[in-house]
Amino acid sequence: MQTLTEIRDAGAVIWWRFFDWLAVVSWKKLLLVCLLTLVLAGIVNHPTPVLMLAVASFIIKVAAGGKRRAELTADEATKRAETEQLERTVVEARMEALQAQIEPHFLFNTLASIDQLIQTDPRRASQMQKSLIRYLRSALPQMREGMRATLGQQLNLSNAFLEIMAIRMEARLRSVVDVPEGLKSAVFPPMMLQTLVENAIKHGLEPKTTGGTLSIGAEVIDGQLAVHVADDGMGFAPKAEGGVGLANIRERLKAMYKDRAELIISVPPLGGTCATIKVPYEVVRDPAL
Amino acid sequence: MRTQAQPVAIVADDERLMREQLVDALRDAWPELVIAGQASNGREAIALVQSQDADIVFLDIRMPELDGIEAARALAGSVHVVFVTAHDQFAIDAFRHGAVDYLLKPAEPERVALTCKRLRERLQQKPAPMDDLLAELSQRLGSSTGARREYIRWVQASVGANLRVIPTSDILFFRAEDKYVRVQTPTFEALIRKPIKELIDELDPDEFWQIHRATVVRVDAVEQVSRNFRGHQVVHVKGSPEKLEVSRSFNHLFKQM
Repeated sequence: MQTLTEIRDAGAVIWWRFFDWLAVVSWKKLLLVCLLTLVLAGIVNHPTPVLMLAVASFIIKVAAGGKRRAELTADEATKRAETEQLERTVVEARMEALQAQIEPHFLFNTLASIDQLIQTDPRRASQMQKSLIRYLRSALPQMREGMRATLGQQLNLSNAFLEIMAIRMEARLRSVVDVPEGLKSAVFPPMMLQTLVENAIKHGLEPKTTGGTLSIGAEVIDGQLAVHVADDGMGFAPKAEGGVGLANIRERLKAMYKDRAELIISVPPLGGTCATIKVPYEVVRDPAL
Repeated sequence: MRTQAQPVAIVADDERLMREQLVDALRDAWPELVIAGQASNGREAIALVQSQDADIVFLDIRMPELDGIEAARALAGSVHVVFVTAHDQFAIDAFRHGAVDYLLKPAEPERVALTCKRLRERLQQKPAPMDDLLAELSQRLGSSTGARREYIRWVQASVGANLRVIPTSDILFFRAEDKYVRVQTPTFEALIRKPIKELIDELDPDEFWQIHRATVVRVDAVEQVSRNFRGHQVVHVKGSPEKLEVSRSFNHLFKQM
């Protein structure tokens, strides 16, 4: 009894294989195969059953082929969609890891400064602490989940950071932000502007005894949003190992925009460093605030 | 006028608030200590220690010009050093076993009092040698805060009227042309004035190979090597249609394995 069931199952498998093949095979190929089998059947002198099978094949293909073919295409599409979804998740996970981290050194120094101001100038202490809260709100990774970042949000974050650094560095840091109001709703990837601002301070201005000016600007050129951070500090050290932040930005831009975005570092005529990020200009209709 | 009983200290930190915080804490913990000056970088700290003939210097680790470690190296043996830092975990690890004291910002009054007590005892002795500690510190700091490597990682080159900074990982090859050396990337070309001869010394030999008197190629950018009609090896580079000839003296680079 068991052998019989097995034979029936095997038969079913072969039949469905044959059915799938019929459904997707081209008419030309089917005709060719039928002719060849007919010739072979003619040689062994049994053409009738093969002829009947051939006719049956044609009928089946006409009747059910279309539906079956659609099913198979749908299957394939689902599989492809699943792979794409998986790839997207992987890219997103990697991006998350690449996003700038909050530097503990910055955090502890700022807290120490607030502590000192509480003793000497409580109003400024409160002001600085509020800036820190604003900074943390947008810089902590779990706080920026699922948001489509805008240039405006990114500027708020960097402004909070710059307010803190201005209290700490005093006259050694001047900052100029010149971004047209209309560009603040433009899409801009999270934490990139902040990485450039931190770099300008850490490598450009903090190491310079007299400090200097940091400027942020944005414009749209040929459908590209160009955001730059410039400083007149120490200038770019050709042997500097650093560069992790910049490499991260490059990689994230590539993952998000392929070849439609870039990071350019240049040396302004009067020295220092200027970093520019160019991304396709796109406006968020309903910015999440 | 100061007397023998009144030791002299210098406080160095690039942020005024942090200097004042430490000065306030020291005044509470050790009223006899004379704070003879405040420095905002390592160079100023050295000058003040020398001009004030200070016994003690409090050095923030991260400062412009000379950092705290470099300043300590310059002053070693002549003054008692206490390092000050807000966070540097690697530095704290280095201090834990050493004879040199450190303070974390903002310092707790009890901790400052302990440091002052230790300093009072140590003032009778010569300042502790710090060679090992300083070497360890600069190594640990070096690996984490933009240290300089032996080889360049970025090239400053002109594109038209602009000066661009190009990461070496973006460069396909350098090629000497007349007075300039052309820097080729997959998307643009730039020019530098430095001759290939000097450039090759600054590039990482694991990253770039010279294949001709006039040509240096990034190894990772090499797609394949073929031979031209004259029997010379020719390098094909990913992302550029240009073919680069290998001169005979560099043939060994592309020998079959």
